[in-house]
Amino acid sequence: MTEEALQNIYLKDFHKKHYAKFISFAGYNMPINYKHGIINEHIHVRNHTGIFDVSHMGQILIPLSNENISALESYIPLDLQNIKSNKCHYSFILNSNGGILDDIMLSKIKLENKEFAYIIYNSSRKKILNEIFNKTISKFKIIEDRCLIAIQGPESFSAINSILNLPSSMNFLNIEIIKFNNDLIYISRSGYTGEDGFELSISNINTKKLLREILDNNNAILCGLGSRDSLRIEAGLSLYGNEINEDTNPIQAGLSWALDKNRLKDNNLNCSNILSKEIDSIQKVKKIGLSPINKIILRSNMTIKNVEKKEIGFITSGCYSPILKKSIGMGYINKFSDMSEKIYVNVRDKYEEIKLEKIPFVKKNYKKGD
Amino acid sequence: MAEKKYTEEHEWVKLDGDTVTVGITNHAQESLGDIVFIDLPAVGKQVKAKEELLVIESVKAASDIYSPLDGEVTEINDNLSNDASIINQDSENEGWIFKLKICNSDQYNSLMSLEQYLKFLEK
Repeated sequence: MTEEALQNIYLKDFHKKHYAKFISFAGYNMPINYKHGIINEHIHVRNHTGIFDVSHMGQILIPLSNENISALESYIPLDLQNIKSNKCHYSFILNSNGGILDDIMLSKIKLENKEFAYIIYNSSRKKILNEIFNKTISKFKIIEDRCLIAIQGPESFSAINSILNLPSSMNFLNIEIIKFNNDLIYISRSGYTGEDGFELSISNINTKKLLREILDNNNAILCGLGSRDSLRIEAGLSLYGNEINEDTNPIQAGLSWALDKNRLKDNNLNCSNILSKEIDSIQKVKKIGLSPINKIILRSNMTIKNVEKKEIGFITSGCYSPILKKSIGMGYINKFSDMSEKIYVNVRDKYEEIKLEKIPFVKKNYKKGD
Repeated sequence: MAEKKYTEEHEWVKLDGDTVTVGITNHAQESLGDIVFIDLPAVGKQVKAKEELLVIESVKAASDIYSPLDGEVTEINDNLSNDASIINQDSENEGWIFKLKICNSDQYNSLMSLEQYLKFLEK
């Protein structure tokens, strides 16, 4: 794809002024890192505050009429009538085989006394999902006039609280609507780094002001997609296109905790017959964490081999972990492989020994309720 | 000691007697990003120009580094095995990677001057 064909996020010039390096990602021209580099940004998020502009992601508001609920429930395995309001729910858009068309964050929020499903979805899946929404639901609004900003790290609460005055009851996965500059910010205590943090949906025109206030008054730096990826791998979180895709269902991907089990008995869910069988069957593959013995970096699509050099799995995500100071990776292996024997990855015509690691690689640091 | 010469593979080459010192340019280290590991070649290895000689692993990707000239590896920068980020900090001095005893000075002379390399970068 040529650069002309790439879309730009609203604050592109702001990032340029802050020495962002850009890459093409899912059709967007996106900051991969700023002047400090990926490793320093990563460590800063684990110790202080990092600010990620993830405005490339899809945001949509769907009024929760009975018709829309029924349509959404035909491909989203949540009980939309009964899920708690002001809470983010990790879920999926599924195809009729149970394959994951996308993973999403869905929250039920109230705006002007009406209930909406507010969904955040992957930029690489916008085309497919927007087609589905167009075909199945009505009166929705695809949000184009808001940025999506993730503020992550152990100091992110104090950084935001001094500006927005957050309710003390706000814990991990809560979402609130808060006034800022005559604007309503949808702010959730969530993110993708394994750290305490927040995601803010905020009007384009107000975003720069908020970012400046946070950057000027805190030990906060701008961070790009590079550190976002190594942070999410350390936290063991799945990425669409790596750990999950149209050919994996949530159960195979080790994400059955995100399924509403009652919905698997509901014929309105397009793949309930398949998933309800799948959940009782023994899985053939399992998700594992890995690290190499030698100084190499695990990267996606490397094959995992056993002692006989037979393929038993593959790496879905890999990176250098700035916290553990070695490479880490996630992958899938055949569940019946003999794990008492040594395992290897094939790197540049050499067999490199790898070993199993616990996921997450680095302890999560969420602010859970008492 | 001669001025540095440069390759289209973004390496610098510095001649001293019949031996060249080789590293990657500042432009190369900037585009690679944070370098974490380097897989150094064995001393004594015979190589041809443009042959893959070693691999640099940055946070973003694994990159092959090619030999700029025909020759034999006589020395490697062992400091890089413990801390490959030296290349990010000082790619054109402390971050040198290997030394090569060369046999063909015509090959060396045909490499780019700094001025030519800077023009090459603008392309």
